[in-house]
Parts: sequence; structure tokens; C-alpha cells
Amino acid sequence: MKQSQMVIIAVAVVGILVVSTAAVFVLMKEEPKKLRMATTTSLYDSGLLDYILPTFESKYNCKVDVIAVGSGQTLEMGKRGDVDVLMVHSPAAEQTFVSGGYGTNRTQIMYNWFVIVGPDSDPAGTKNATSAKDAFQRIHDNGTAGHTKFVSRADGSGTYTKELGIWSSIGYNNTTVAAFNTNWYKQAGQGMGAVLDMCEDMNAYTLSDDATYYSRVDVALIPRLSITKQGDSALKNQYSVILVNSTMWPHINKTLAKDFLDWISSTAGQDVVKSYVRYGHQLFVPNAPGYISTTAITGFVDTRLFEDVTNGTGEVPEAVLVAKDMRAVASRGGAMDGA
Amino acid sequence: MALEISYDVIQVTLLSLYVSGCATILGSAIGIPLGALVGLKEFGGKGLLKTITYTMYGFPPVVSGLAIYYLFSRAGPLGSFGILFTPTAMILAETLLVIPLTTGITIASVAEVDRSVKETVKSLGTTPRQSVLTVMREAWVGLVMAAMIGFGRCIAEVGAAYMVGGNIKGETRVLTTVIMLETRQGHFDYALGLGLVLIAVAMAVFFFLRLLQEKELL
Repeated sequence: MKQSQMVIIAVAVVGILVVSTAAVFVLMKEEPKKLRMATTTSLYDSGLLDYILPTFESKYNCKVDVIAVGSGQTLEMGKRGDVDVLMVHSPAAEQTFVSGGYGTNRTQIMYNWFVIVGPDSDPAGTKNATSAKDAFQRIHDNGTAGHTKFVSRADGSGTYTKELGIWSSIGYNNTTVAAFNTNWYKQAGQGMGAVLDMCEDMNAYTLSDDATYYSRVDVALIPRLSITKQGDSALKNQYSVILVNSTMWPHINKTLAKDFLDWISSTAGQDVVKSYVRYGHQLFVPNAPGYISTTAITGFVDTRLFEDVTNGTGEVPEAVLVAKDMRAVASRGGAMDGA
Repeated sequence: MALEISYDVIQVTLLSLYVSGCATILGSAIGIPLGALVGLKEFGGKGLLKTITYTMYGFPPVVSGLAIYYLFSRAGPLGSFGILFTPTAMILAETLLVIPLTTGITIASVAEVDRSVKETVKSLGTTPRQSVLTVMREAWVGLVMAAMIGFGRCIAEVGAAYMVGGNIKGETRVLTTVIMLETRQGHFDYALGLGLVLIAVAMAVFFFLRLLQEKELL
């Protein structure tokens, strides 16, 4: 190969690299302030943050970097000072985190629901279960008898923590659960979406957050599955915001982290959370301390359910929504049947 | 769902090229001279060093990612640099993966240069520096191959990129991590589309490197 050809090609290669480098830096416009938030994959994948964060970012002229990993890893990142703020859903682990001095200002901000998902034919009879505990017992008994299967996240996620909590409430401690016969109890170690796909494939049950379930239904990946048990208060999925300890980690952007916490627990922030509707459902119910809704209920809630309190305005007072939560959940189930 | 060529896809693609390109250049800048040194010099323990280099070909990306995470985490020894969750951290993690490849392939290429060439160079009485350059020119195809394989490893790698980059939208999201994200969300069509973009980009770069390697393409 001629020297001149080599030079030309080398210049071209270097040129492409320089251009891509420059483009990357131009496209990554440096914002004056940055907030680094660690959250769980299920919350990130629900799309809520993409929906609410632009409002916060424009109000505070900042940029929020979201890192979505498993709950266990989220808390670990907070411990190591790698992020400024956490948005998580593992109450027991959160308490340990805060009492260990790694975080402050733990504040509940919203919840959504876990649902028990299983084959439409419901071999374990969970549709007739009186409670989430009862449904788990039925799955266990039918599983050990060889009639059905259960796929567990088994990955340190908030969902897995909730699953372990339910097992333990019916007398199966963590060690016992880990030793469940693998013929019926599959420990996947995967994300929620992948676990739902596995259930579709294996005709198995699982515990899922409703947002991931709806998203999977939306892309038509789990046609044989349906929600077989929901609405039990034991299935509530509480999300909290925790500020990473800024005394321990001086580099933390504590002002902006506190701004975020104040904003999302304010009426304005809570209203934005409430207004997020996807897959035909309001996915999150804001419940920060002292929050009283000022906006009309949108999305899945059929205001005709509340005719008696709306006085024809179509606006439902928050107190009424909370009181009628179970009815709202029932209406969501009905909507899914039609989908 | 058709693949929409949006601002995001272009940015993600450019970042992939940037991270893999820098890691390849860094890894080659370290690995090729190192490989030439090991390949051309005779010294005790050379066999052992070669064996170690070759066995490092299988160095798992996820371990490289974890190592960089531990080093640059705020609680880690180099935490004060604050480079975790930036493209720089991704480049470092992938450079670690490239170095054994470029070093090892250079050792092999230099060794393969015909002994007669080396003898001739010596007999012509050229300076050691000139003779090294002559041997390296003879080994050119192998050296470019080293860079190609290094680049191939980087652009296809996802474990380390996700762990130390964090897959942050608009900042550390590269083609492989966005494919993971879309797959996780069940958007298989879109993920597959992005996969085609990744293949196209990798093939284009390899085509360029092939040009660099020799003129006979077909």
C-alpha cells in the first residue's frame, strides 16, 4: 500500500473520530446544575420520570441524570455516595439505610399496586382467593402438588422484597423460600418484564408491579396471562425519596436534592404525578404527607363512579378518591378484561 | 414499529463510536508498543508473560466494569475524580479490555514477521530504531487487526458500559445499553432496529480499518 493512500485513510479515520467526539460534546450541552438520581428499573420503565422530570428541570433550571438499576444496587450507590438522591420502594431496606446514617429526609411520595399475575385458566384458583396471602398459599399448595409454577424475581429488587414479605406472612421464611422445590418455584434473577415473559412461556404465576404488567400487555407479549388477584392492601407498593447523606459525602448536590424532594412532595409535584396516565391507567397515586389534591382526576377513573360527590363539575376531591380506592382498582381490573 | 431515526439514535450512535474509538486508540497506544517490546526483545520470563497476556483475552467485561466502578466510586480509592457515570469511566473500563488483545496480537504478528527480514535488516546495519520500524511495517496487517479486534470488543460490549456509565439518557447511553433498555421494556422491534444500527456501524468501521490494512479489498 502506498504511503499517500495510508495517510489519506488515516486522516479520514481520525477525522471521523474527531467529528463524532465534537458532536458528542456539542450534543451534551453542559447544564449549570445537575442532580443525579438512582431509581429502580420498574419505576424508570413505567415512564413516570420522563413525564414528571421536565417540569422540575425547567423550574429549577437543572438537569436530572437518572440511573435505573435494581433496588439493591440503588441503595448501594447511595451508601457509596455515587448519587445525590434515591427514589425507591423497599421500605425495610430503606429503614436500614436511613438508620445506618447513609440517608436523610426519607419521605413517602406515592404508591402503585403489585398484582398477582398468572395464567388466565388460573390453575391455583387465585381468582377466588380471599387475600394476597391466601393466593400465595394456593400457589404454594398447587405448586408443591405439581399443578402450577411460580417465577420469582429472586434479585434483591423491591418486588422480590415484597414477595418474600408475603411468603413470610404465611410462615415461609427467607431460607425456606430459597429452598422451595425448583420444579415449581423458579428463581429467575431477572427484571420484571423478563419474568412476565417467562410466566407466559411456563404458564406460571408471579408477583408484578401493575405498570410493568400493563406495559407488557400493551406490546402484546403476554396474551395468556391476566391479573388473578389485586387490590389487597398487602399489595401496596410504596415509593419514597431519600436524600443521600451530604455530611458523609460533601460533593453531594444537597441543595438540588432537597429542592427535588420539596417539589415532588408539594401540591404541584404531586399533581403532576397524579396526572400521569399510560396504557389507559393512572399508574401512581400520590400520597406525600399533607397532600390534598387540587386537580381533577384524569385517566382511568370514570367520574360517573363519583357522580354523588362531583356536583357535576367532574372534579373529584382527593378524600373521596382515597375512600373509593378499592372501587377504582376494581374499575381498573374491569378495563383490563376488555383489553 | 418502524425504527425512527431520531436525535436520540444519532446521539447514542455517536457516543458509541466515541467511547469505543477512544478505548481502541488508548488500548492500541498502550498495547502495540508493549506487544512489540515483548515480541522483539529476548528476556527471562517471556513465555510466562505471553501466556498471561493470551489468557487475559477472556477477561470478562463485567469484571472490568466492576473494577472501574470500585476504583472510581466515591467510596473507592479514586472517587475524588468524580468520573463515575461519565463516558470517561466507560472508556477506561473498555481500555482495560482492549489492552490484552492489542498486546497479544502484536506479539504474535511481530513474531510472525519472517526471520529473514529481521536478519536482512540487521545485516544492512540499520540502527535498532530503524529495524524496529521495518519489522513493524512488515507486521502492519497484524497491528491493524489488533485494533480491529479491540474495537469489535468495545462496540459490542454491554456489561461494563452499563455498570460504569449508568445508561443515562443523553449522556452515557450507548447502542448496546439502549438495546438492553428497550429489550427490558419489551420493545423487541425497536431493540432489533437498534441492533441493525449497531451492526451497520460496526461493519462500517471495520470496512475502514480493512482499507487501512491493505489495498486489495476483494
